[in-house]
Amino acid sequence: MTETVTLAHGAGGKQTSELIEKVFKEHFSNEFFTADDAAILPRPNGRIAMTTDGFIVSPAFFNGGNIGKLSICGTVNDLSCMGARPLYLTCGFVIEEGFEMDKLKEIAAAMAETAAKVGVRIVAGDTKVAGKGQVDGVFITTTGVGELIEGANTSGALARPGDAIVVTGDVGRHGTCILLARDDYGIEADVKSDCAPLWHPVEAAITKVGDIHVVRDATRGGVGTVLYEITKESGVGVKLCASDIPVADEVRGVTGMLGLEPLYLACEGRLVIILPEEKADKLIEVLKEFPDTAGAAKIGVITEENRGRVIMETEIGTQTILPQPGNELLPRIC
Amino acid sequence: MTEATKKAAELLKNYDGEKIRIMEVCGTHTHEIFRHGIRNLLSDKIELISGPGCPVCVTPAGFIDEAVELALEHNVTICTFGDLVRVPGSEMSLAGARAKGARIQTVYSPQDAEKYAVEHPDEEVAFLSVGFETTTPSSCIAVKNAEADGISNFSLLTANKTMPGAYSAMADHTDVYLYPGHVHTITGLKDCEDMLAKGMSGVIAGFTPSELLTALAIAVKKFGEGKPFLVNAYPRVVTGKGSPEAMALVDKYMQPCDAEWRGIGVIENSGRELREEYAGFDAAKKFNITRTSGRSNPGCRCGEILKGQCKPHECPLFGKVCTPEHPVGACMVSNEGTCSAYYQFG
Repeated sequence: MTETVTLAHGAGGKQTSELIEKVFKEHFSNEFFTADDAAILPRPNGRIAMTTDGFIVSPAFFNGGNIGKLSICGTVNDLSCMGARPLYLTCGFVIEEGFEMDKLKEIAAAMAETAAKVGVRIVAGDTKVAGKGQVDGVFITTTGVGELIEGANTSGALARPGDAIVVTGDVGRHGTCILLARDDYGIEADVKSDCAPLWHPVEAAITKVGDIHVVRDATRGGVGTVLYEITKESGVGVKLCASDIPVADEVRGVTGMLGLEPLYLACEGRLVIILPEEKADKLIEVLKEFPDTAGAAKIGVITEENRGRVIMETEIGTQTILPQPGNELLPRIC
Repeated sequence: MTEATKKAAELLKNYDGEKIRIMEVCGTHTHEIFRHGIRNLLSDKIELISGPGCPVCVTPAGFIDEAVELALEHNVTICTFGDLVRVPGSEMSLAGARAKGARIQTVYSPQDAEKYAVEHPDEEVAFLSVGFETTTPSSCIAVKNAEADGISNFSLLTANKTMPGAYSAMADHTDVYLYPGHVHTITGLKDCEDMLAKGMSGVIAGFTPSELLTALAIAVKKFGEGKPFLVNAYPRVVTGKGSPEAMALVDKYMQPCDAEWRGIGVIENSGRELREEYAGFDAAKKFNITRTSGRSNPGCRCGEILKGQCKPHECPLFGKVCTPEHPVGACMVSNEGTCSAYYQFG
């Protein structure tokens, strides 16, 4: 019989200890991981950054990852955007009664693997089990602490006219992947999520290129939403060149069929980086050394004019506005 | 951009002849024209009018009322394309009905609605069958599937429409039609030839930027020659005979009827309804729904906008009380609606 999570696993007794022992401790073990009430950690060197994020993606397993990998990537990337080296993570699980134990192990393994990739330690966790139907499968919340590295000074308010806009890879993958995984459309296409932890490329950008003004990870609302946020926070305009925006053929095919704009589809491993124009080529060269950012490309510039707007230069040489982000296309994407 | 497309763009930019009105009849054309900024490129001697070719936009308030009645009073599960959910009815939209407990399912095709009915034998399921010649065959396939599956809990609430009636109704409002490539993929060239015989010019257009620019350039050039014309500028897809199979399928299940177009009124023989022998699949008959015209917001000028008699920003509601988040008129609801396009790209 398939072993599943039961309400007893969340009751705090023997079975809870068993669950922690069998699933979490096995994967998350490190010198700071604690069974005590709180993890005791050495003081970081500089200023610290701290963030938290909840993950409720449906389905929990998708092409290119699962909710566990996503929960590490999301928080690691949020820290990375501020130029903070991810140090410690905590994770809270809410698991639906009846969830398969093997799947939970697979999720924990993905978390451990992703965390190891960037050298972040999972130091504490919590597990609750909710009755059947009270949650859908498993929900995870991760909280992360990082230390700002030297030269880190990024904010959505720091974009300046004349700056170049770089994306770290093709856009709209995660959203398209989830959309296909839900099988609502009856479309078959092989689209792998871009879900990836991006600390190393960001670290390289700050240390090897420098003068990075903005780093934002394009998650739920996609690159388009991030760009509109930046126009508002920095009081600038954005001009994109449509033919420079990297979109995978399979993503273009699916979105074309459904009338969706790839710039508004979720990414989980793509950053928008804004920096002085003269440094853009160097940045792209540096990013191309990492597999997860090998598809980096310059897609446009920050402008003084058209404040608060994202203007697109089309393939036929006309200019048009990228429509403002609208209603949520798909719920429970991350 | 190819040389030919460049030439077309130059011609449209520099046109200095007699003023010309071109009506793009298709909602997808409207959307693509805005999305590629084609309007910004045209000489001011060329006026583009967005015609009545967005199925959501021409769906009257009364149709929404009927769907709401089915859902709330007859406990019918409504399966619909997502766009229709927020279209205002006389009292409420389907989103409003959902808040009152109605079961409203968004589907991506009529076949999905039929599948839903098979999987939910305890529910009565009605699909809101809107659309033109391109989508009507798909509704007929759903009925065909329901027959094959032997289910009796599936029906269509029809508001299907056909283009020729709208072309004739719009004849005074344009000089040249940009005919919808998708519709004529199904129906072929006959309807356009009939319009030509009545003296109406048109170009059948595809949907890529270069196809649109080429079609517009042909329209402008031919217009200058002073004689009515018809050019198929989408020959890679549209053929003279269209798709006889699709037309035969529709003809088997449906018959012509008069239809109400939101803001325009009733156009004779411009609709399709299920034939009498398929009345069991006709939700209006099955549940004895009274077909009404409904009431729209009196300030809304969607009707004039669809006829090209007014631009969205001349409507007192546009951008103020009527926005894509809170649409008052149907032209603001769909992505392909004229008001929505002006709002988003304006």
